[in-house]
Formats: sequence, C-alpha cells, structure tokens
Amino acid sequence: MTQSPTLSRRPGHSGTALPRKSRQRGADARAGYTFLLPWLLGFIALTVGPMISSLYLSFTNYNLFEPPKWIGFDNYATLFQDERFLQSVGVTLSYVVFGTPLKLAAALAVAMLLNSKRRGQGFYRSAFYAPSLIGASVSIAIVWKAMFGDSGPVDQGLSFFGINIGGWVGNPSMTMPMMILLTVWQFGAPMVIFLAGLKQIPGELYEAASMDGAGPGRKFFNITWPMLSPVIFFNLLMETIHAFQIFASAYIISNGEGGPAGSTLFYTLYLYLRGFSDFRMGYASAMAWLLVIVVGIITLIFFRTSKSWVHYSGDAK
Amino acid sequence: MINRRHFLTTVAIGTASAAALAACGNGGSSSGQTGSAEKPVTINYTWWGNDDRAERTRKAIALFESKNPDIKVNGNFTDFAGYWQKRATEAAGGGLPDVMQWDLSYLRDYGQRNQLLDLGTVKIDTSAFEKSLLPSGQIKGKTYGIPTSTNAFAVYYDPAKLASLGIAEPTGKWTWSEFQAFLKEVGDKGNGTLYGSTDFTGVWWQFNIWLRQKNIQAFTSDGKLGFSKDDLKTWWNLNSKLRGTQTLVPEDRVTQLKPKSPFGSNVSAAEVTWDNFMAGYLADSGAKQLKLVPVPSDDPNNLGLFLKPSMLMVASAKTKFKDAAARFIDFMVNDPEVGQIFKTSRGVPASKTQRDGTTFDGADKLVVDYEKSIEQYLKDAPEPPIVGFGTLEASFGRIASDLNYGKLTVDGAVDAWFKEAEDLIKQNA
Repeated sequence: MTQSPTLSRRPGHSGTALPRKSRQRGADARAGYTFLLPWLLGFIALTVGPMISSLYLSFTNYNLFEPPKWIGFDNYATLFQDERFLQSVGVTLSYVVFGTPLKLAAALAVAMLLNSKRRGQGFYRSAFYAPSLIGASVSIAIVWKAMFGDSGPVDQGLSFFGINIGGWVGNPSMTMPMMILLTVWQFGAPMVIFLAGLKQIPGELYEAASMDGAGPGRKFFNITWPMLSPVIFFNLLMETIHAFQIFASAYIISNGEGGPAGSTLFYTLYLYLRGFSDFRMGYASAMAWLLVIVVGIITLIFFRTSKSWVHYSGDAK
Repeated sequence: MINRRHFLTTVAIGTASAAALAACGNGGSSSGQTGSAEKPVTINYTWWGNDDRAERTRKAIALFESKNPDIKVNGNFTDFAGYWQKRATEAAGGGLPDVMQWDLSYLRDYGQRNQLLDLGTVKIDTSAFEKSLLPSGQIKGKTYGIPTSTNAFAVYYDPAKLASLGIAEPTGKWTWSEFQAFLKEVGDKGNGTLYGSTDFTGVWWQFNIWLRQKNIQAFTSDGKLGFSKDDLKTWWNLNSKLRGTQTLVPEDRVTQLKPKSPFGSNVSAAEVTWDNFMAGYLADSGAKQLKLVPVPSDDPNNLGLFLKPSMLMVASAKTKFKDAAARFIDFMVNDPEVGQIFKTSRGVPASKTQRDGTTFDGADKLVVDYEKSIEQYLKDAPEPPIVGFGTLEASFGRIASDLNYGKLTVDGAVDAWFKEAEDLIKQNA
C-alpha cells in the first residue's frame, strides 16, 4: 500500500512543519468522518442499537406487549430441552453441511468452464449469474414449490425416467434435497467471485506446468487450488454464514410453518415463529444470540485453519 | 495477484455494506380525525380469507365508500396462518391496521394487552344482536370485538361424489364408528383417487366438541387444561387404524395442497369443519352442490355443538380515526346490503337487521337451515379461550400432522402437545 505524502510522517523530519500538518490531518479526518456519518448513524441506530436491546431481551420473558421481565439465563437453559429447537438445529446443520460445499463446487466448476476463451462467454456468464439475482426473491420460492409439487414438472420429468417419488413438497424426506437444490442453483454470486479470482492466476504457471507434462488434475490441485485459495476461503466463509441465515425460501415453501413434519424448520424460521407466532420475543432473542455466537465460533475456526491451506501472494512460504 | 491486505479490506467493506443494506426504514403517517368528501380520511382494513372473500369484501368496501364519501378504506388480506404473524409484527411496531377481521382464538392475546380499541367508547349499534352472543367479544366488561356472524361445526359432503360411488347420503344421525365406516366406504370405493376426509382428529374444535359430548370442559375457568392426557390419547387413537389407509387423505397431499383444503380441491368427499366454509368450498372445488349434516356423537342427545362468533370486527387501540373505524365496523356488521354481499360466507349474520335484510337461497339457505336444524342441540358457547390459545390450536394441528406422517406415535404426540400447552400456560400465567 502507498500512502499520500501529506499523511506520511517521517521520523526526524518533524520540526516547525508539524502544527500545519496536524491541522491538515484534522481536516482530512473531519472530512472522512463526515462522509462516513450517514452510514455510521444507520449502523448505530439500525444494527448496534437493536442488537444490544435484543441481548437484553434474551435474558427476559417478553411477549411484545407487556414490559419484559428479567429471568436471567432461563431462556438459554430451556433451549436445550426444547425438542423443536433441537430439530431446527439439526435441519439447519444438514443444510449448511451439504448445501454449502455443493453450491461452491457448482460455482467453481462453472467458473472454470467460463474462464476459457470462447465465443459468447459474456452471454453465458450473465445466464449463469441470473438465478442468483432473482434467487432471493419470493417469486422463485413460489415457482420452486410449484415445480416440485404433485405432478409438477420435476415429478413428471422423473416419472418419465421411471422414478416415481411424487411431489417433493409434501414429502418430509425430500424437502431438504429440494432446499439444497434451490441454493445450489443460485451459485451465481460465488461463481462471479471465483471467475475474478481465476482471471488473476498468471497463465505462465499453466504453460510451465504443461511443459513439465502436468495433466488437468495436477494443474487444478497444484496451481488453481492454491492460487485461488483466498477466494475459496472467502466464498466458503460467506456462503456458510449465508446458509445459517436461510429464511425466506423455507418460509414460503412451508407456508411459514416449517413443515412437513418439521423438515424445513430452519433455525431462523423457528426463531421467527417463536417470536411472532408464540409472542416469546425473549426466547427468540436468546436463539438469535446463540446463532451469532455459533457463527462467530465457526468463523474463528475457519480463520484459524485457513493458515494451513490459504496462500496469499507475498507470504513467505 | 491476490494480496492479503487488499483482500481482507475488500472482505471487510463488502460485509459491512451488506449489513447496512439489510436494514430499511418505515415512513410515518398523517394525522387528522375526520375527513370530508373533498379530503377523505383513509383507514386500513385487513382480513384473512380466500379469493372469494376478497371479491366480496371489495364489493362491500366500494359500497361503504359510496355511502361515506368522507372515508376511504384501504383493504388488504392474507391466509389465516400468515395473518397472525403479520398482526404480531405490526403490534410490536405499534402499527396495527385501523380495522381488522378477528378470531376468537386471539381476542385475549391482543385485548388483554391493550392493543384493541374498547368499542364501548365509540358509536356502534348492537341493538340487533342476540344478548348471548355479545359477551364473546368482551373481556372484563370491555367490548373489543363485535361478532359479524355465527358459525357451527358440521360435516360437509359432496352429494355428486357420493352418488358417483353409489354411496347413500348420510343423515347426520350417526355415532363416531358409523361416521368412520362412512369415510372408509368412500375411501375403499374411491380407491386412491377419492378419500373419505382428512384426519378429523387433527382439528382442535372437533376435539373440543367431542370433549363436550363427554361433558368435559377444554379449559377451566382459571385458564388451565380441563382434560387429561388420557382423553387426548383416546381421541387421537380413534383414527389410529385409519391413518395411512385410503380412508384419510395422505398427509403429503394435505401439505402440497395448502393453502387450499383437500375437500376444496376435490380430493376428499367429506370434511368436518365450520359451516361458513360453504362459499369458499364451492368456489375452490367448483362443485354444483355441497351439503352439511351434524357431527357424529355417541350420545344422540348431546352433540356438543354450539354457535361461535365466526369472526369479529375489531379496531386498533392506536387508530387515529376512531370515528371512521366505528362507522366502518357498524356498516360491516349491521348493513343489510353487506349481508347480501357476503351471504353466509362469513357465517350466518349475527345482527338481526342484517340477517333479515339478506335473502338466503341455494347453498346459503343450506347453511342457515343447518343452523336452525341444530338449534335444539346447541349449548352455551365454550369458555373464552385462554391467552395463547391460537398457538395451542396451531400446534394441535401440527402435531396431528406429524402423527399422520408417522413421525410420532399417539403417546409421543400427546406428550408433545401437553408439554407445549403446559409450557405456554406457565409462560402466560
């Protein structure tokens, strides 16, 4: 990184120039904070404030209408005796563990295909990116529900090949594969990031490897993977955090109930039901904070382990 | 090349801006108590229901606006399940709509917590109502809801479907086992294309009626459960031999068809539910005619039936337009022309003015006749549901659904429901 000369402070060069320079620096800082202000105000009012109040509420019994009653750690303690809560943890974990790697694999595979120089690449890139643009919307969840319903296109397509599962939406053992397919299909965002990462890898490396007789597998594991590891790490982190927060599609596909038989009772959906259907806002807040803590720990683990497999340029390795 | 510092900075900025984008605000509203034809006030009205009710409500609103040029009504609707989550969110933010269609199950939750307007403080004419019906909208002497109409439980059936299978129409004088035999006959002859009905043991109110037939109160006056685990076990075991057979609609079909009912989707020949579903079922199924008969009972003199306000009209405690809200409620419950628009789709009109001003024929006449035919069996409406009853009613259905999916045994289902119920009663005590 380079610094602008006005801001740099060279040792042994202070002398008489200092007051003017520090005034200058104060003005710069003021300008900086002024530009930052709109965001900062929003951040404090809309994120930090509510977070602190939800932390407080998580130690209370609060039904939205009456003043909260302090109950200490009771909410956190009852969580682990709540079978629906444990079910929601199980559902969410299986979604994260299976959905995220599959989505990233799909994103990386398509990014590598799109990285080669062919005609019409711009079109393909847009086409593959499109699902993730509209993917978060309510309409897609509704379309998905219709597609995977009784005698929907998916059921009919599979029946054509002699696979008769029936509708996926009403079948508790098929809803999770359906939800995972929905997220895998929305691989566009990580794909674009992968694509940008792939463009950064110097072509000489592959040329040199080819000369040494390396095959595609060797090139992938010895060049692409290590060179791309910061991007893989970033995508893995972001997509994992995202997966923990899945809500809208589950809400719509299950009519806001988490059914059938609790198979789409994702953590955030149960949190929402507890808060806004059962009026147990304190309990819901405790759930929210537990999620924050767990995601925080997972992020920390990712960062710790990343040292062994993520390679940044400029690192002495 | 990817440099660590640049990279991490980009990550940080990206994450932060995503967080900032996730939050968004909400605008304020203008004030003013009364409007004029030139400058009308706008009140918000929300209800639950299907397209059929939406169409009727739109007509009623248009009529109201033409009679009251100083008030505009902004209507909005959802299905029943999503309805209560929305209201909770709005109540938490202090932004409940001015006027709302309401259910008895949730009257205590919001009324006792000062979210609803005491309608005794505004001008609404209740002189044409049965004296016995009004208390159902009252809590501790304050009137929070005005019943629009009454409904009673009934067994619906589709005569055309029965005829096509060569099954005689039921008379409505039947025991539980005769009723089950009837459903089984439909299922056996329907052979997977037509089922008897959904698992009626999953419907809270049907359970409540069964309890009343055994002279058991669902809730005690101090807000506790009036029945035992064994009672619920007996109830859910009633259908244990029929679950998973062609008699009852498979649970995965029920789930897929939501928010429509299997009966409305022509998947079953009968359904046990409230009698005011007639218009909705006719519209959903396209059937020419649907009929209703009383629910089964092992005691022919005690059917456990009662008239319930099928829905109430309430106003938000925070409405700025109390007068306009009161006029709209008064219009919706008393106006004979509103009766003509809704017929029996909200239930049989509760106000005599509205009922007498409505002509009932065809399907609507069947509903009115049904309520007349059971008059001799009607007992007092059940004790007002406890706080949090809406949640219990929903979890009753959910746990019964798990039962039908085979995820729970009857004993496990009973334990699960009792645990939730006891937990909830303790919470709200």
